[in-house]
Amino acid sequence: MILQGNLPARVVGVERISPTLKRFRFAPDNGREFPTAAPGAHILITLKGRDRVWKNAYSLVTPPDHRDQYAIIVRRAQESRGGSHFLHDNIQGGEKVELSAPASLFPIASLARKHILIGGGIGLTPFLSYLPVLKSRSATFELHQFCSADEVDAFRSLVGDDSQVRVYGSHARPSLEEILSFQPLGTHVYTCGPEGLMNAVTRTARQLGWPENSIHQESFGAAAGGEPFIVRLSQSQKTIQVGGTQSLLEALESAGVDAPCLCRGGACGVCLVPVIDGEPDHRDHVLSDAEKAEGRLIATCVSRAKSGSLVLDL
Amino acid sequence: MIDQGIKSRPVYERLKIDPTGLRHHLVTDAAAFLSDPFVAGAEGLEVWSVGSREAEGVTARPMTEKGRNFRSVQQMLDRLAQRLEHEQMGLRLYAAGREEFLWDVHGIAQRAGMGKREIFLTHFGSQARRVHCVHCQTFNERVTTTIVRCDGCGANLFVRDHFSRRLSAFMGVKVDAEVPGDVPSAEQAYL
Repeated sequence: MILQGNLPARVVGVERISPTLKRFRFAPDNGREFPTAAPGAHILITLKGRDRVWKNAYSLVTPPDHRDQYAIIVRRAQESRGGSHFLHDNIQGGEKVELSAPASLFPIASLARKHILIGGGIGLTPFLSYLPVLKSRSATFELHQFCSADEVDAFRSLVGDDSQVRVYGSHARPSLEEILSFQPLGTHVYTCGPEGLMNAVTRTARQLGWPENSIHQESFGAAAGGEPFIVRLSQSQKTIQVGGTQSLLEALESAGVDAPCLCRGGACGVCLVPVIDGEPDHRDHVLSDAEKAEGRLIATCVSRAKSGSLVLDL
Repeated sequence: MIDQGIKSRPVYERLKIDPTGLRHHLVTDAAAFLSDPFVAGAEGLEVWSVGSREAEGVTARPMTEKGRNFRSVQQMLDRLAQRLEHEQMGLRLYAAGREEFLWDVHGIAQRAGMGKREIFLTHFGSQARRVHCVHCQTFNERVTTTIVRCDGCGANLFVRDHFSRRLSAFMGVKVDAEVPGDVPSAEQAYL
């Protein structure tokens, strides 16, 4: 079920985990409890800056049964579209914020007999809500976290380091082939992190003969900018400018268009909109190659225009 | 009466090697399937089958390097369960044979953690049915008629087209429950 509507919340804690990582805690602002989130769930947080509004997706890092608080961990991205800078620089605690209901596009495969989690950098976050669930189910699992040498301690402080959970800096990393070889039937692999890592995990698992449905990846934050372009909406007769650091979806939202969305990372397909004219620059993981070539749909959260303008059926 | 229009019946296709797998293993309850083009055309395929009793002692080993003959279907299934416990990701399992055999194999593979993209089934040989009596839970083997007397409770069972993948059997329900003794004549339908 996908819950509609926003959850009123208040920032009740901001902690610095490393020079670029902060944990933000939210509590309900209406005296009630938050909905139970599935492991791997994310929320959209609406950030209202002085002249701009962001809606960013972050994985919940609290155990799924925590309903009195949600927490997220945010990296202050170097090349940010602004949302993570806003959170790091302006949110001190006490502020009112709007959260979406949690949605899960990255569930644990319940029938799997073994789970291998491979995180890269801040891609660890969805696994922080997996761990308490896997442990309470006494599931067989391994977590392999890759990060830079100076962040090993920060990530170990979040997950520990034991026989099931390994945190690797830049030295003494096992290869993905070593991690994924000789795994028993019924093993599933989950990966979240930089595109390069996730592609390598998928490629390695395929080479080792893993079926597609045993490979899971969480695709977040792929909304990189690009050339500015113009979008015309045929139904509402609007013409909207999409800026270079803005996504098409953000431009629609700031023009007051009620555009659908869920993951804001090109993974779920909720935001797909029919294209009437113009050539999309597809950057999502939802459309097949054939559909991308056809160019009749666009995922507004990540995709842009190859042509200078697009006409959408909105 | 025979085509009951039940749409949940499994549909089978010809086997072909799934090239995304690294190791391939076929099990069949019918030695005759070994001359199927699938077996000859698949390099490196491991083949397990059941030898016919008449051929005991003279059965040639199957025409592949990795082949094995078992004395009974049950022996083969037991060994398969043991084997899959120690198998690794990358295996694809193929089964050819009677319908109840296919789903027995499927159940064993599923319990070992395999999913539907790793198991491929094709119906080969007799159409005879395993019929599960819904009244006494007895499995009646090799039923060829539309109505069968249950080995367990003696009820006259109508063999529905309703196939259970979990039980590897068709559903048999008492045909004369409304009017006891009113049993239509059986047709030989499943050879």
